Amino acid sequence: MKKPLLNLINMNKYFGTSHILKDISLDIMDGEFLTLLGPSGCGKTTILRCIAGLENIDSGDILLNGNSIKDLPPNKRNVNTVFQNYALFPHLNIFDNVAYGPRIKKSMTEDQIKKRVAEVLELVQMTGYEKRMTNQLSGGQRQRIAIARALINEPDILLLDEPLGALDLKLRKYMQTELAGLQKQTKTTFVYVTHDQEEALNMSDRIVVLNKGVIQQVGSPRDIYKNPNNLFVADFIGDRNIKKVKVLEIHDEYSKIKLGNSIINIRNTNNMQRSIQSGEIAILAVHTDKMRITCNNTPNSLSGEIVSVHYAGSQIRTRVNVGGEKITVIEYQNNDCDYEIGDMVHVSWEESGAILLPMEDDFDEIVKSEFHT
Amino acid sequence: MKKFKQNAPAIPILVWFGLLVGIPLIFVLVLSFLSRDSLGNIVVEFTLDNYKRIFDPIYLKVFFNSFLLATLTALITLLIGYPVAYFTAKLETKKKALAILLIILPFWISSLLRTYGWIILLGNRGLINNILLNLHIIDKPLGMMYKFGTILTGTAYMLIPFMIIAIYNSVDKLDKSLLEASYDLGAGKWKTFFSITLPLTIPGIAGGFTLVFIPALGLYFISDLLGGGKNIFLGNLINSMVTKGRNRPLAAAFSVGMIVMVLIVLFIYNRITRNNKERLL
Repeated sequence: MKKPLLNLINMNKYFGTSHILKDISLDIMDGEFLTLLGPSGCGKTTILRCIAGLENIDSGDILLNGNSIKDLPPNKRNVNTVFQNYALFPHLNIFDNVAYGPRIKKSMTEDQIKKRVAEVLELVQMTGYEKRMTNQLSGGQRQRIAIARALINEPDILLLDEPLGALDLKLRKYMQTELAGLQKQTKTTFVYVTHDQEEALNMSDRIVVLNKGVIQQVGSPRDIYKNPNNLFVADFIGDRNIKKVKVLEIHDEYSKIKLGNSIINIRNTNNMQRSIQSGEIAILAVHTDKMRITCNNTPNSLSGEIVSVHYAGSQIRTRVNVGGEKITVIEYQNNDCDYEIGDMVHVSWEESGAILLPMEDDFDEIVKSEFHT
Repeated sequence: MKKFKQNAPAIPILVWFGLLVGIPLIFVLVLSFLSRDSLGNIVVEFTLDNYKRIFDPIYLKVFFNSFLLATLTALITLLIGYPVAYFTAKLETKKKALAILLIILPFWISSLLRTYGWIILLGNRGLINNILLNLHIIDKPLGMMYKFGTILTGTAYMLIPFMIIAIYNSVDKLDKSLLEASYDLGAGKWKTFFSITLPLTIPGIAGGFTLVFIPALGLYFISDLLGGGKNIFLGNLINSMVTKGRNRPLAAAFSVGMIVMVLIVLFIYNRITRNNKERLL
């Protein structure tokens, strides 16, 4: 099947005394769309810049097609970058911008360059813009030119640093589809950096979740979304209620846990649950939109009091006080019954929406009270 | 009325310029078309003779000399100033501030004094000759004073900070990601410099060129002190026309001629920067 194209091996990077990348090891497969996802300052852009050669690594190695490239300058590495601000050359027109790579490397004749520029401009749907200057283009158009300027070099890997960050929401959604399509069409390996989980989940073959310079989880979007393997990923991806619970009993199929004063069963869905012992404190993470509020008691539900109800367009965001623990529920359709603030209701969830994770030392730091109390 | 309110803050400076620049300029212009009597008094009598004398070969040579001095000064300061400005802009913030301070430090000392400094350095009994003589490297003083090259050195020294600061500003605000994009696309350091940095700093070069060229055209004390009066430039000529020749109308006509040269340079500067602004915005 697919073979690794790029290997990052125990990569470490310091800026001054701060340790930016901590033992990053990652195999990037030929032809995949890989996304580095994490909050700002997690080191995702630094990884990209290390691959591009714009930063040197302090230890570890980077292998491209099996050969170490860590000591090569950026111009000797067959990877190209689409920069966050596009970095189009303002003194050159679109044609000269796109032709910059082949002309510098003298890899093609002027006739071949003409042909190739036409091809890549067609690929990014910018045919006819050759004579324009960069300041005559919109943000979305500059973005396309930046991609064309990189792709004309037929890089082994295309590195994209939050390329959609500067675009408005509508254009961003459209460009997501475009980019994913372009990747499939050119069969180029894309390494994409973003802090936007929706972008990552939409486009990627695989996602690498990063926090504080450490890889948290690597997996398919579905995997990352459904089976986070630690607290950070559970909190960062999707919108979850995250609560400390006490594990009472562990069975093969399900575990019995205590949240506040309520006792509830949760289906064992995640590998990590095996490391949880009965009697321990653990973390319950439930997708807010996999929950339901009912007025009549249903099996395996928690009873609580409605604290607040917010109508936010298509979704209804309700806060319920369950034995002292406040839980957020997001519903997309009319409630099963009418309720008002102060009413007693029952909260339940789809089995696939909840997971149990082992307790972590930095629980309070990760689960910031403003979002989860 | 609305427009008036908007422009109101500009009025003091417009009055300032009008009184102290505009009126004297008009005075010079009017004067240049008048005559004088044998005592040097101005006679209100229209004439073009003053302008005709500009085309006297002797005076044309002075114009040419001044133009040559100003152009060479600008070129020399560009060649020396560009690397200085480039590497200054690449320094880390603290060192950068120190470097800029050192570049503008000489401005705190009278330029006349600094010119005398060159005499102390280059004169026949000057520092360099003394050292070389005492070391027996030479047996008679090198004649370094009173040459075109001496004046050129002095003028370039006097004006180089303008060139450095102008280029520094345009290198400093150059978007670093453009250089990274260039490396990323396969260009080495030199190719990136010539394909990206140099073209994008042309406005700074043009600015520096203008800032050096214009004063170099008019500086007269440097050529007086370092040139010993052997080389005549426009500034000296106009100065002596007023003080020794008592011919203010002629001096006015030559001043107008000099202003025209400056305007030509400013026009070229405008063309270069306007083209660049359109693209860079």
